[in-house]
Amino acid sequence: MLRLFILLVFASGLAHASSAVRVVSQTVGTDELLLALAEPAQIAALSHIAKYPEFSAVAKEAAAYSSISAGDSEAILKFKPTLVLFADYSRTELVAQVRKAGVEVIVFDRYATLTDVYANLRTLGRSLGREARAEEIIAACEARMAVLSAKLKKVKPKRVVNASTYGLLSGAGTTFQDLCDHAGAENLATTLGGLKGVQPEPSEKMLVWPIDYLVLGGEGAVSDALAPLRTVLPYRYIDAVRKDRAVVLPSALLASVTHHRIDAYELLARGLHPEAMK
Amino acid sequence: MSALTLKNISVAGRLQAVSLELPAGALVGLIGPNGSGKSTLLQAAAGLLPVSEGAVSWSGKAVGEIAIMERARRAAWVPQEAKFEFGFSVRAVVQQGRYAHGDDEAGVDEALARFDLTELARRPVNQLSGGERQRVMLARAVVTQAPLQLWDEPLAPLDPRHGLEVLALARELAAKGGTVLMSLHDLRVAHALDLVVVLARGGLRALGKPGEVLTPELLREVFGVRVRTADGLTLELP
Amino acid sequence: MTRGASQPWVMPSLIVALLGLVFISLAWGELTLSPAQLWAGLNNTDELARTVLFQFRLPRVITGLLTGAALAAGGLVMQAYFRNSLASPDLLGVSSGAAAGAVSAIVLGWTAVALWVLPLAAVAGAVVATFAVLLLAKRGASSERLLLAGVALNALLGAVTSYQLSHGVALWERNSQLLFWLLGGLEDRSWLHVLAALPIVVAAALLWPLGRQMDLLSLGEAEAQSLGVDVKILRRKLLVLATVLAATATAVAGIVGFVGLVVPHGLRLLVGPEHRRLVPLSILGGAVFVLACDLVGRVGGNLRLGIVTALIGGPFFLWLLRKRA
Repeated sequence: MLRLFILLVFASGLAHASSAVRVVSQTVGTDELLLALAEPAQIAALSHIAKYPEFSAVAKEAAAYSSISAGDSEAILKFKPTLVLFADYSRTELVAQVRKAGVEVIVFDRYATLTDVYANLRTLGRSLGREARAEEIIAACEARMAVLSAKLKKVKPKRVVNASTYGLLSGAGTTFQDLCDHAGAENLATTLGGLKGVQPEPSEKMLVWPIDYLVLGGEGAVSDALAPLRTVLPYRYIDAVRKDRAVVLPSALLASVTHHRIDAYELLARGLHPEAMK
Repeated sequence: MSALTLKNISVAGRLQAVSLELPAGALVGLIGPNGSGKSTLLQAAAGLLPVSEGAVSWSGKAVGEIAIMERARRAAWVPQEAKFEFGFSVRAVVQQGRYAHGDDEAGVDEALARFDLTELARRPVNQLSGGERQRVMLARAVVTQAPLQLWDEPLAPLDPRHGLEVLALARELAAKGGTVLMSLHDLRVAHALDLVVVLARGGLRALGKPGEVLTPELLREVFGVRVRTADGLTLELP
Repeated sequence: MTRGASQPWVMPSLIVALLGLVFISLAWGELTLSPAQLWAGLNNTDELARTVLFQFRLPRVITGLLTGAALAAGGLVMQAYFRNSLASPDLLGVSSGAAAGAVSAIVLGWTAVALWVLPLAAVAGAVVATFAVLLLAKRGASSERLLLAGVALNALLGAVTSYQLSHGVALWERNSQLLFWLLGGLEDRSWLHVLAALPIVVAAALLWPLGRQMDLLSLGEAEAQSLGVDVKILRRKLLVLATVLAATATAVAGIVGFVGLVVPHGLRLLVGPEHRRLVPLSILGGAVFVLACDLVGRVGGNLRLGIVTALIGGPFFLWLLRKRA
């Protein structure tokens, strides 16, 4: 590990040598980190869903690069990478196969908070010889967060839930909770529902929750995004749905585990607290 | 008019152009080696098997023109071997013979008594021995009061006494004007019936009085056995 | 013995159990409502209690009891049809067929077109599966042959469903919807589902008078025909009814296993094999069983209905196999 570190420090000193790192990213989260940090020549391939806007916050930029197919380790190794990026939910046998082939891997296992995101940016920045770029991004993020929290300092949190047609709610410890924590929102699934992680929705109880807004993944007008919810329980009978009170965020941002989350924070804050965000 | 008429009936691969007529009031044996088509002939005669050619009629009326419910009142059929998956009681199965008569209970207790089943009346049929099951099926056929009775090897699983009782009952049915056609393997029993039908390789070989039909030549040719008359064991009801 | 004299207490007990379960399912839920609130809900004076009672709990209860009735009656019919007490919609793959139909319709986006598309797709899938069973296992086939046909069919249709789950880009939202069909459940069932389940009522009403003929058929086709049953027509009716019952139940509640095996079998042990009694008792018993399993699942912490019925039905099935061996 130390040897690798020395090698990387050495490599980073040589602008051309840094291009010798060839990276394959296996998850959409690592795609977002990689595209933010790397020089184009360092990117060998992105994940199989990098180009789908419903999952990826960087779908447009990703269009210029190759994607791996959703297959086995050969789908990755055929790009002759020197470094492969995984997440802790990547299949363990896949990670093991790539390791066995002698390729360096990084498995990201913490990504729930911005602190984790900054650490991940630094880790990857080092491996790419792009530490300066990592610090630049982090500084920009911190500046945006400072502005955001200043604006939201005095607001009264709005009470929200993460609505969907598939009968599940996001509670404590989810990326949705993190989103609420930074956007002036109270996640009722956590505070009133006591849910931890993603859980089946307590339909009947939701009727008596004082839900100010629903937060939905999707795009387009609020009333369109709410349309599928209007026919299903319990949302049919929830006031916020009847009154079109919802904030619609692009699905990819809602689920993002990188610095792109800040876009989601800002969008949600703008939706919930338009006065404060002016 | 004959009680049962088969006109030139064929069943693909099993029966070829069999024609015969059976009079009312006859007790008839159907004999032939294994695979000669006895079961097929009985099912075709009962109107249960589609024939590829020919016609079956009962008392001059084509079976195809008789409604299914009416058929059940005119002819009864007993399969060679009854399989019971479900545990209906003996009495319930016998009573099913009355389905075509408004599902009443007429004659059920008498039939149970006649086939020595009164004691078993409440037993589930899927727990009976082979011989007991056969008596249940025969009792069910008899309670239909159908004039035409078609029985497939009724005697094979029965003990000697029950066998003789079934024969005696068949004789009574015939005496009352019914027609009983039963397949069997015991040629000595066949010898005592009114008529015998001999099948060989899916075709009719002979039909007539047993004394005239069951000649040593025919038995040798059809069954491959030699006949010798000697003193032997004869069983009778007391 | 033959005329329904035995165990006369079974029917009243089931009715009492059903009423009790319906009452509990209506009175008890995530949201605690006091008796006074429930009363106010019934009298239209409490908006919240009214909504919970009539829009949440009542449709769920009705969907549940119709599903149970349909699966148990469907199992009973298949057992008489195949003359085999191990036959049931889930073991023979008919439920899998319905699920594969429903799942395909969801993936192809047809379900957005109209409400009736989903149940129709489920029925279509079930029909395909039924015909496949008929081809694979003849009537009166041995248990071995019948069950192996079911194993093969379940595997095949399971592959269809798995393909839908895995092919292309996995959409989390769509897949959650698909998983619903595979696990089976009554969560958030609405009046739309009750409406979609109405064919069950029609099929059950049509099945009711066929009990006596099913008795005769269950002892052999040729035998039944010789006793005056038009077997061809009866078989056709039973096949249509069994398919509609199993498919409709699957369309509204997903794959709920073992109900069609456990309920008719348990009742047969209690009251004997006569279908004139078994048809109404299975309809009632299936409703009781499913409502009870749903309550158990809710008390046990949001266990899906299909999981509870399998936890109870699986061991029962193994016991049955052992008993027959």
